[in-house]
Amino acid sequence: MKLSAKRKIIDKLNFFGFVAPAITLISMFVAIPFIMCIYYSFRKWNGIGKTSTFVGIDNYIRLFTSDTIFKGAFIYSMIYTVFVVLFVNIIALLIALLLESNIKGKGFFRTSFYIPNIISLIIIGFIWKFIFGRVFDSLYDTTQFQIFGWSWIGSPKLSVVATIIVTVWQSIGFYMIIYIAGLQSVPDSIIEAATIEGANSVQKFFKVVLPMIIPSITVCVFYSLSNSLKMFELIFSLTGGGPGTSTTPIALDIYNTAFNNNQFGYGSAKSVVLFLLVAAITIWQVTAFKKKEVEA
Amino acid sequence: MKNKKSSVILFIAALILLIISLSPLIIVIIGSFKSYSEIMTNAVSLPKSLSLINFKNAFKEMNYPRAFLNTLIVTVLGTAGIVIFGSLAGYMLSRTKTRISYILFVFCIIPMMIPFQSFMITLVKISKSLHLINSIWGLSVIYWGLGSPLAIFLYHGFVKGISTELDECAKIDGCTPFKAFTKIIFPLLKPTTATVIVINAMWIWNDFLLPLLMLGSNKSNKTLQLSAYGFMGQYKMQWNNIMAGAILIIIPALIIYLIFQKDIIAGMVDGSVKG
Repeated sequence: MKLSAKRKIIDKLNFFGFVAPAITLISMFVAIPFIMCIYYSFRKWNGIGKTSTFVGIDNYIRLFTSDTIFKGAFIYSMIYTVFVVLFVNIIALLIALLLESNIKGKGFFRTSFYIPNIISLIIIGFIWKFIFGRVFDSLYDTTQFQIFGWSWIGSPKLSVVATIIVTVWQSIGFYMIIYIAGLQSVPDSIIEAATIEGANSVQKFFKVVLPMIIPSITVCVFYSLSNSLKMFELIFSLTGGGPGTSTTPIALDIYNTAFNNNQFGYGSAKSVVLFLLVAAITIWQVTAFKKKEVEA
Repeated sequence: MKNKKSSVILFIAALILLIISLSPLIIVIIGSFKSYSEIMTNAVSLPKSLSLINFKNAFKEMNYPRAFLNTLIVTVLGTAGIVIFGSLAGYMLSRTKTRISYILFVFCIIPMMIPFQSFMITLVKISKSLHLINSIWGLSVIYWGLGSPLAIFLYHGFVKGISTELDECAKIDGCTPFKAFTKIIFPLLKPTTATVIVINAMWIWNDFLLPLLMLGSNKSNKTLQLSAYGFMGQYKMQWNNIMAGAILIIIPALIIYLIFQKDIIAGMVDGSVKG
């Protein structure tokens, strides 16, 4: 008995020895900061002074009623997210289908289409700033096409479109490889059976392939949703949130509120709203898509 | 016959799409060799001569060797810590079937659902009081905390598929659990370790927001992305230098990608589908 009691203690010590470092790190750098953020969202705090004062839900009331910048950021984030999710998934799936149709040089194409994804978002922002500016000016001079003459990052509406285009361009490779993996898991025998039954390629895609790759679609829509709702870096270097605040997403607004305006309590409230938004939308999406998987 | 024809059409379609997709990068390469006045007259024509002067400027202004070394240290140290702490915890949480173990596992993976921007404000405050800011070593430690949840999740899932008999044999042979882990279990986790390395190294190498918040303005601490941002913001309209700078930043990642592309793509797919 004594021996087994000693054993139990040793087992426990071993358990905590393995687990403690990770638990400590996650607590220090994620859990505690996040809980503190919730705490400060109910307080007024300039981030510099040691003291903060309790203000109840004032921050949240202000955020939803009188903050036009946050409202703009919210609307922009929604528009940006909807279009990015839509275009990224459709185009990535089409390219994946194209590459999986047994064309020559499949590996080469896959490797090359993925390249924009390995470049940091900050650099991508600068590259496209150059393209929308100097390069389009030069193209307009030589071709006179109106599309190159537009002020892509200078006008409030077009700059929204510009941020969507660049995001889609940058991230397609990532979603493409997930769709390719999904398509490769569809057994050939099923497609052959459909061919024998006389299905044409459009029927084959919608009736046979699409239901089989719903797990991949779930994953890709999930990532494109949560990445779009959290987007910061690309917009930071491409438009800086402008002109004005027309391309300021929620994440950038949080950054500005806290680190440029020193309103840390108010910024914390915005952080909490961002968390709730991302959690609600992604949980809803995954449950909705999982239902489809079962049916298929 | 018909099949052959349609496959040629599809090949051409793919090629056209690829050219469209990579044309921005071709424009960057062209731009990086031009002089300032050449870019201002026509940004898309081929450069008159292949001068490396823009690269020289960008290299010097970005303090490239120092920034490269800093980024390398943060990436290697950050990824190594995530692999070590993630595999230790993921393994033990997977093997221990108690209530507390399950609760701790849930605690470890919930952070995957929390956007970084939702706690960055207070993370800066905490890091300041722990004296982890303004230092690339401190930055690496913060990455351990941010990267561990996904690593624990992936290791936890993979360990389930490894027979517990191995652990028991090692125990009978007199191995301590730690020794059994390092000598027997960890080598078996290689596929997951590869995935964890790929995902975290790519993320840390290209990350911008966390270094921006943590490293401040001290020049000698800057990572590649930070010094690129500083350089490109400072020389706003000097597109020739900026494009050369962009290439200098892209090249290391591109070389690594082209060498390990199979592992990188496999790791990205594996990590995202399971995560």
